[in-house]
Amino acid sequence: MSSAEPGPARAIGERAPLGSPSGEGESRHPSLGISLLVSELSVIYRRPRTWALLAALAAVPILIAVAVRLTDDGPQPGRGPPFLDSITNNGLFVGFTALVVCIPLFLPLTVGVVAGDTIAGEAGHGTLRYLLIVPAGRVRLLLVKYVGAAIFCLSATLTIVLAGTVIGFALFPLGDVTLLSGDTIGPGESTLRLLLVAGYVTVSLLGLSAVGLFISTLTDVPVGAMAATIVIAVASQVVGALPQLAWLHPWLLSNHWLGFGDLLRQPISWDSFGANALLQLGYIALFGALAYGRFTTKDVLS
Amino acid sequence: MVRSSLRWMPAVLVPLVIGTGVVVAGASPVVTLEEKTPEQVLALVAASDVRSFSGTIQQTSRLGLPEFPSTDSGSDSTTDSVASALELITGAHEARVFVDGPQRARVQITENLAERDVIRSGSEVWTYDSEAKEATHLTLPDKTAAHDSPAWTPGEIAARALAAVTPSTEVSLDPASRVAGRSTYELVLTPRTEDTLVGSVTIAVDSESGMPLAASVHARGESAPAFRVAFTAIDLAAPAARLFAFTPPAEATVKEESVPDAALPGTLDARDLRSAVPPFGVSGSDWSTVVELPSGSAPPELLASPLFASLATPVDGGKLLGSALLNVLVTDDGRVFAGAVPLNVLQDAAANR
Repeated sequence: MSSAEPGPARAIGERAPLGSPSGEGESRHPSLGISLLVSELSVIYRRPRTWALLAALAAVPILIAVAVRLTDDGPQPGRGPPFLDSITNNGLFVGFTALVVCIPLFLPLTVGVVAGDTIAGEAGHGTLRYLLIVPAGRVRLLLVKYVGAAIFCLSATLTIVLAGTVIGFALFPLGDVTLLSGDTIGPGESTLRLLLVAGYVTVSLLGLSAVGLFISTLTDVPVGAMAATIVIAVASQVVGALPQLAWLHPWLLSNHWLGFGDLLRQPISWDSFGANALLQLGYIALFGALAYGRFTTKDVLS
Repeated sequence: MVRSSLRWMPAVLVPLVIGTGVVVAGASPVVTLEEKTPEQVLALVAASDVRSFSGTIQQTSRLGLPEFPSTDSGSDSTTDSVASALELITGAHEARVFVDGPQRARVQITENLAERDVIRSGSEVWTYDSEAKEATHLTLPDKTAAHDSPAWTPGEIAARALAAVTPSTEVSLDPASRVAGRSTYELVLTPRTEDTLVGSVTIAVDSESGMPLAASVHARGESAPAFRVAFTAIDLAAPAARLFAFTPPAEATVKEESVPDAALPGTLDARDLRSAVPPFGVSGSDWSTVVELPSGSAPPELLASPLFASLATPVDGGKLLGSALLNVLVTDDGRVFAGAVPLNVLQDAAANR
């Protein structure tokens, strides 16, 4: 908020009398928040674990593309994951297929590892209290941890799309993409659609990140928080597969996870994008509030 | 202590806000419209000249039939085709519809990561199935080219229901409502006879354009509609022309099919039906009409299929295929009686013949 304020407003804030908590807070928030985020991101992306997760995700499209390339007669329409049979005609479909394959388990798994580690990891290492020596730093730390996890979601999705596109170009021809409606679009628009799908999948994972953040504030054992987050993602999909619980389905975290097909129609349909964003926003608000309640009242001893 | 409980306030408030939002959004909206008589609403419908629109239609059925998983069990094709027909009339379906005048239309039945399309532009008709990657091309005979193609929009269903408005039916208006974000008059048709399964038919008519936006059929004694077709979104502007110019994708299998002049789905009316199917008898009238097919008209392999055995219940004089809105009685001697009527009416019709 204050980072967007023009110069004069900030000057007033800086001239506020010493000891005024509001004036002091306003002038200190932006710099601290951003430097904290930068250090959080460098912690995430310097871990070998993060790169191992991203490498595992990148391996999925590569595996799919090589397997399709090595078989002689190619996949049959209507069998295997959606879009699998389109790969031989167009390398761009490797990314789509890999996203469909990854979203039920692999992506929630990696997001669970990162989001579950956010607070519990620091507590487990005994570094949490050093992060909290700044007064009123807990809310900011929570926000920075969440933004860090959200950025990881984006990088995980983009890794799949990028690896899929590169291996697709290497092994298969590049041509027009056939949409679900049967219309064809050129490579330029199909790249745009692929990025839209990546954005959709990223948004789908934001709610799970918030759940992971909350669970992470509950415990000092990061592995427990990671496992619990992943279990919730899987349980949500199990419940989603039971027709007897249909009344519950609109409220499930995973309800719209495979809804990105709407972005592959002609004309494009934004219905499920909006519904998904609203649902994930609800999860972020609820579990963000729970994490705030828990983390700001927690005794940090380690 | 007070401070720490304050910090849990957001966690209490957020579910409250979400819950309130859901309740407010789900509450039936209060719509005030100019008072109209049922006759004026019917005139509004008749005067409607909406020729172009694009929208999303949702169809839900609660016919009391079992839900079938739409997986191919590898059994014989008769059972498969029956199962896929049942799949269409059970559960919920969503379609996007684009119409530009009577000659150009496109219907997209949307599923998760799949879609089935029917595109019509003049006498050219294409169908496309994204899962099978199959496209079919039809050329309509000239004499049918003037027919309107979308045969299952709310407008078509409403027109059929309105045509049935005779002394047999009581027409009234429910309080105004809202469909697809537009205010609507709610026309209610209630059969006067007791000998029908239909409790009432409700048609939501757009208060501005007179276009029917929703049609639902209630079974007798049920509060939730047994069958409902409704727009969830609608735009009365003409859709983009490129939607109707379909070129099958290169990797799709393309089938060419010709249409015999006589039997064309969508243009069949009662007279065509009579020439297309074995002679059938009709008894009763209006809501309690019973259609009788002579012995041997039902395919024997269908009657012998395990699917039929699992759906049909044995009753006096034959087997009953029952649902909330339609009963079909297959008598022991092979005749078929069908109608939106209770079982005893079908049995009477069978006994009187």
